[in-house]
Amino acid sequence: MDEDIAGLLGRVSLGDRDAFAELYRQTSPKLFGICLRILANRGEAEEALQEIYVKIWQRAGRFVQGQAAASSWLAAIARNQAIDIIRARKPAANVIDEAYDLADPAADPEKSAVVRAEGRRIDACMEELEKDRADAVRRAYVEGLSYQELADVFAVPLNTMRTWLRRSLLKLRECMER
Amino acid sequence: MTTPTPEGRDFRRDEVIAGEYVLGVLSADDRRKVEARLASDRNFAAMVDRWQSNLSSFDEGYDPVVPPPRAFSAIEQRLFDTLRPEPVPSRGLWHSLALWRGLALASLAALMVMGASMAGLFEAPSTGASLIAELAGKGSAVDLVARFDPSSGRLKVTPVAANQAEQKSLELWLINGSNPAISLGVLPQTGEGEIAIPSTFRSRISAGSVLAISVEPLGGSPTGVATGPIIALGKARNL
Repeated sequence: MDEDIAGLLGRVSLGDRDAFAELYRQTSPKLFGICLRILANRGEAEEALQEIYVKIWQRAGRFVQGQAAASSWLAAIARNQAIDIIRARKPAANVIDEAYDLADPAADPEKSAVVRAEGRRIDACMEELEKDRADAVRRAYVEGLSYQELADVFAVPLNTMRTWLRRSLLKLRECMER
Repeated sequence: MTTPTPEGRDFRRDEVIAGEYVLGVLSADDRRKVEARLASDRNFAAMVDRWQSNLSSFDEGYDPVVPPPRAFSAIEQRLFDTLRPEPVPSRGLWHSLALWRGLALASLAALMVMGASMAGLFEAPSTGASLIAELAGKGSAVDLVARFDPSSGRLKVTPVAANQAEQKSLELWLINGSNPAISLGVLPQTGEGEIAIPSTFRSRISAGSVLAISVEPLGGSPTGVATGPIIALGKARNL
């Protein structure tokens, strides 16, 4: 399936409209599902879907086979579009220029971001997190929730939610590299 | 190194920011900052890619929903300016109900009479009267006034408001009755457009002829039939 999609993306990058129509036929239900879940509004989801496929048409040449699975590459475009829309609709606080409360590591992680074969799947590492933190990570991703929304859903202070997610991300990273 | 250093902290912080970006929890401003850095910092971009790949198994949480058929039409229209040319035969386009409904609206718009002063611009030749058509489209991307002088064979087209993208051309079409549209040529990109009508076509422009303008790739339709959207059309009448 992913090979088919990768092949279609290759043809789309050459301007093949038939391939584009077929790519749309095969992938739009998933990407529309992403838009609906994050935006929770059919009209906005349809508009987002348009933007997404315009981007796919324009960016198909940037997809590098082997570096990412074609379906994940498409899903990332869809999620980014939907999240941009919802962040514009419901602004969230800026954080990345502020101090991050990260637990001191036992040892520095390897200072290399080289992508290598991951020893384990994310699912196994998620199980090492406390259940509510794992739920928060998953819901942040799937529903596109902001820190504030997550804090409300889990009924914890905003700063606690930030610490939860950030430490969870570090634990996941460390677990994946083990 | 066994003790955390500022560099080590920054590295961990970057990993977290990359993860936060992929999760989607950041604000719009923070997302733009991350994206700006992605373009210039390959290590950081690799962190984001890795999170993207790690977390993509969460995509299984999205249930597929088939979008309505109109969604793809809208996408094709935005990307290709038109319906796909292949499945739409040229006569089909010109015979489409939507087009002729549009024509009815445009004709109403064209009822705004140009006024007798315009008639004075031309000496009515004995061979036939000058014709004028106002070409107006719904939403009015561009309005044009077309004036045809049968004696000289000159058709003068004045864009009243042209705000099309520059890399497109405006192509003028003549439609008589149910005959296929005939290309009369491509309008000059700016200012007042004047097109010399080939003598073989001159006799075909008469009161009741429909003039239409479509948006085409630079230089005009590659196929000889209109491929782009009809942005304006109107019926010629005696001046």
